[in-house]
Amino acid sequence: MNPNRNPSEERLLAYAAGSLSPPEAVVVAAHLALRPANDAWVHRLQAVGGEFLEEAAPVALTADALSHAMALIETDAGEARPPAPLNDMPELPEPLRRYALGPWRWIGPGIRARDVHAPRDGACRVILLKIDPGRETPRHTHGGVELTCVLSGSYATETERFDVGDLEEADTDVLHQPRVVSDIPCLCVVALDGEIQLDGWLGRLMQPFVRL
Amino acid sequence: MSADGPLQDAFAHDRLIEAVALRRDREAFAQLFSHYAPRLKAWLIKSGAPPAAAEDFAQDAMLTVWRKADLFDARKARAATWIFTIARNRRLDMLRRDARPLPMPEIALAETESLRPDDILSASQDAERIRDALSRLKPDQVEVLRLAFFLDSPHSEIARRLDLPLGTVKSRIRNAMIKLRLILEPSEEAPR
Repeated sequence: MNPNRNPSEERLLAYAAGSLSPPEAVVVAAHLALRPANDAWVHRLQAVGGEFLEEAAPVALTADALSHAMALIETDAGEARPPAPLNDMPELPEPLRRYALGPWRWIGPGIRARDVHAPRDGACRVILLKIDPGRETPRHTHGGVELTCVLSGSYATETERFDVGDLEEADTDVLHQPRVVSDIPCLCVVALDGEIQLDGWLGRLMQPFVRL
Repeated sequence: MSADGPLQDAFAHDRLIEAVALRRDREAFAQLFSHYAPRLKAWLIKSGAPPAAAEDFAQDAMLTVWRKADLFDARKARAATWIFTIARNRRLDMLRRDARPLPMPEIALAETESLRPDDILSASQDAERIRDALSRLKPDQVEVLRLAFFLDSPHSEIARRLDLPLGTVKSRIRNAMIKLRLILEPSEEAPR
């Protein structure tokens, strides 16, 4: 397993624990749907969490907590919220199917993006990015891109290739200009972090594409 | 966990969830509540929540246990893991700092994760292996792992609580994870 195309152990641990930010959790969930070995590992980490829960020193509840709980289940009408409808992209992995999607927007030649209406965390949000074969994504540092998971097609950086299911983590401020190397468009789900506002980020994307 | 038979206890809890699923057994639910609600409350208090909010969380998670009991499969996950996963999903939802009243699909529901066909070991064997693995880690490694599971913003919070540099905490977690993977998945490729 190449460490650079998988989530770090720390990120998988945070995902299993439920402490990862929701936008990042959405991208990791997509990755896990495409990588059963990592999904099985997360499942095992949840069993570690279960073990910690089991051995936690209990903290007493208030005196009427049990009777309150019993009253709750007597009057419970089940889940208040029906599941959200499926969106219009059956090609997406299951964890992404029930998020509403914004319209496709033209970002630059051969590049389109649409919002995934998943929970935000501050200004951190999730988008789908679709880039045509042979196109380079706009040159960028990783300041604004937190996590990327490839859903179809492939792209390559100067040193590495990312195929379906691979996850790229933001690591450094290294200037970075991935190019789509598949003969079909490359579709990615991306968690963008809060430091770059949408307008500014779009503005950067629309800058002329300069080859490295 | 009681000293006389942790495994029996765990199986007893599995049976209780099944009784809730099959017969809507209220006595079984009350027993589950008495065991797990105080632990869920402890978890949230450890993560920094005020006691009242921690108790609300425990109530909410246990209500989800009542609602979803029919999705429990003892072959795939034992009771503690299943309840942990339910609570984990609720917690992720709580951590969402997004007030939009949009329908928010839940992320990685417990039942889809626990019903994967590729679980090789039975849940009870797995639980035993996990207890064994944790006993083979150094105490300070188990401590950071436990905190990583229970705190909202693990690294900086752990560093603050243990009065350690952030880098030390990160490398300790990483080393603990590598060792855990080596013990639990010895046949896999080299850990990352």
